[in-house]
Amino acid sequence: MLQRLLAIIRKELIGMLRDRRARMSLIIPPVIQLLIFAQAATMEVKNIELAIVDLDRGPVSAEIVQRLRGSPSFESLPLYPSVAAAREHVEREQVIGILVLPSGMSADIAAGRPTTTQLLLDGRRSNAAGITTQYVSGIVQNVGVELANKVRPSMSAARPDVVINNWFNPNLDYKWFILPNLVGNLSLGVALMLTALSVSRERELGTFDQTLVSPATPFEIALGKLLPPLLVACVQTSLYLVLVTQLYGVPFRGSIPLFYASVLTFAAACAGIGLFISSIAQTQQQAFLGAFAVLLPFALLSGFATPVENMPFWLQFVTGINPLAHMLRLMQGLFLKDASALSLVHLLGKLGLIALVTVTSSIFLFQRRAS
Amino acid sequence: MTPGHSWRAWWRQLYAVMLKEGKQVTRDPSSWIIAVFLPLTFLFLFGYGLSLDTTVVKIALVREDSSQDARAFAARLQDSKWFLVVDAPNRQAGKDLLRDQAVKATVIIPGEFGRQLFSDADPAQVQVLVDGAEPNTANFVRGYVSAIWSTFLAERGVTGTSTSAPITVEPRYWFNANAESRWFLIPGSITVIMTLIGTLLTALVVAREWERGTLEALYATPLTRGQILLGKTVPYFLLAMISTLVCVLTALVLFHLPLRGSMLTLGLVAAVFLVPALGQGLLISVTMRSQLAAAQLGLMTGYLPAIMLSGFLFDIHSMPAVLRAVTLIVPARYMNVSLQTIFLAGDVWSVLIPNMLLMLAVGGVFFGITWRKLRKRVD
Repeated sequence: MLQRLLAIIRKELIGMLRDRRARMSLIIPPVIQLLIFAQAATMEVKNIELAIVDLDRGPVSAEIVQRLRGSPSFESLPLYPSVAAAREHVEREQVIGILVLPSGMSADIAAGRPTTTQLLLDGRRSNAAGITTQYVSGIVQNVGVELANKVRPSMSAARPDVVINNWFNPNLDYKWFILPNLVGNLSLGVALMLTALSVSRERELGTFDQTLVSPATPFEIALGKLLPPLLVACVQTSLYLVLVTQLYGVPFRGSIPLFYASVLTFAAACAGIGLFISSIAQTQQQAFLGAFAVLLPFALLSGFATPVENMPFWLQFVTGINPLAHMLRLMQGLFLKDASALSLVHLLGKLGLIALVTVTSSIFLFQRRAS
Repeated sequence: MTPGHSWRAWWRQLYAVMLKEGKQVTRDPSSWIIAVFLPLTFLFLFGYGLSLDTTVVKIALVREDSSQDARAFAARLQDSKWFLVVDAPNRQAGKDLLRDQAVKATVIIPGEFGRQLFSDADPAQVQVLVDGAEPNTANFVRGYVSAIWSTFLAERGVTGTSTSAPITVEPRYWFNANAESRWFLIPGSITVIMTLIGTLLTALVVAREWERGTLEALYATPLTRGQILLGKTVPYFLLAMISTLVCVLTALVLFHLPLRGSMLTLGLVAAVFLVPALGQGLLISVTMRSQLAAAQLGLMTGYLPAIMLSGFLFDIHSMPAVLRAVTLIVPARYMNVSLQTIFLAGDVWSVLIPNMLLMLAVGGVFFGITWRKLRKRVD
């Protein structure tokens, strides 16, 4: 049996790696994707363009504008005479919002009266706008405290405080979050697509019947379809591991054996789903649609796009069947946190359970459809 | 033959080929799954599932002090609707919970808290360890713990705390008063779904014809390149328009998005977006000519950029300049801005017209290359 199985795996691998172009397509695109998306995927807000309407024209407003100019987050701060004049630039998305420095602001500060500035923001980009608000508030409040202290020195005695430390990612670098996630996300696509399209492709080309009349049993053929994607996933994630740690300097604090155990279990779960789809689908087109119907929700609802905790409770429950959701927690635990083996094995167990279900049900279905 | 006559013949031929393609599409049950079922399910899932608005964060609390002040601060944390507090018996347990991803932060109230709170020489410090692995959640936790701490201090009348900042920044969101992330994520989801249907499906379907050789059969007919292209495109165009309508209705009915522009404008923008989307699909299919390769290329150049480079999740303005230049050829980018504007702001033509022109330009390039590649020859 082992001999026949190896023969089938060899056949599948030859199909996958038959020419230079096919081999390159397994290596080059994933690397390019990692490089591009690592740059693109940031929730930090940079290059901010913010309109300023200065109705104060005093020392306080001048100081605020100068501080904003000095901040690396802001790219340009065009001045407009009124909110009405600036509004169309917000509508056209040329600026993210308008900071209105009210008249009499400098006078208020000089007299020791608290004052308010308005920040009008583009709600179409509410997330970036929210982060911009944090930046602007920080700068404006600092200016306020400093200038107010000049007027009326307050007691600056030590006071009780909260000390906040960011663990695992001290500078809250978004790349440290996104790169371990991409490792999981990109291998999901590969493992799922390779198997999902394999059987239906052979069926369309007519080579599937040839395989069936070979001495190999359907069980062996199914295994032969499932195993090569695991190999591909291992090679690709090894490449990612090197790139992510060496090129981007993301720490890897966990254990390497657990990393590969996670990758293999995850790839098995995905390949199982792929083979399942492949067994049902009559044509490649159907297989492709089936794969996509699974891939897109898995990818977006895994905690990669937005946190799982923000979902309604019933949907958080449903993400329990999403192998990528567990994989991403494993990757974060391994790369950044050096989480205890026990907690990782617990996650790995859940992933293993999913893999067990998808692999056995897909082999079962494959055998039924083949005979 | 008069020119008028030949035009009529041209139209009749085009009509015939569209009819053939249309029948092929409507006969296939999977077409209806694509047009109605997939968009409905996807938008349902993404509408509920995608949100950047943090609701409740699980945190661990280590209480080393049992003074009245410590209990009062702990109660403040527990009463907050932002936090779900789990008690940890000691520091090590609190840190382990954080490391094992059971909580997002650990708050430690130190042993001398109550005694030090009112001491000027050695003021009390509450320690907060935040899971930095998810920077957004970390910022959220930081902000709320600080806010709770300030109100706690003010309540206890601790000296040295400033009662109010000299300048307060008052944010106000236009178009989206509550700054709900769903309001911009749902238009983005619609773009992703339309890309999936427009680009990927077209790529795959036409690649199948290459594989099976049915496209070469079309070559044997008197049809011109333009007629073949149009005939292939129009049925998928209609299919994608139906699925867009399904998406839009779901967004309005289920998720109560406002539609501040008009339905007509939305339809126009959707139709314009399908030019580059379908064009890209056709281009992929004539380039690859095998379904597997077309699927892979479609995945890489259609689906992934629509998610990562379109401004759907990640703000384009914050990307490095090189990537911002790359996004210029991603049609989904223009669609996102247009949809967000029509839903949230209204028919702002100064936004819509440039974006539509850019979509048409990108689409024109895709169709142009496809037309050139589609020489009437048999390999």
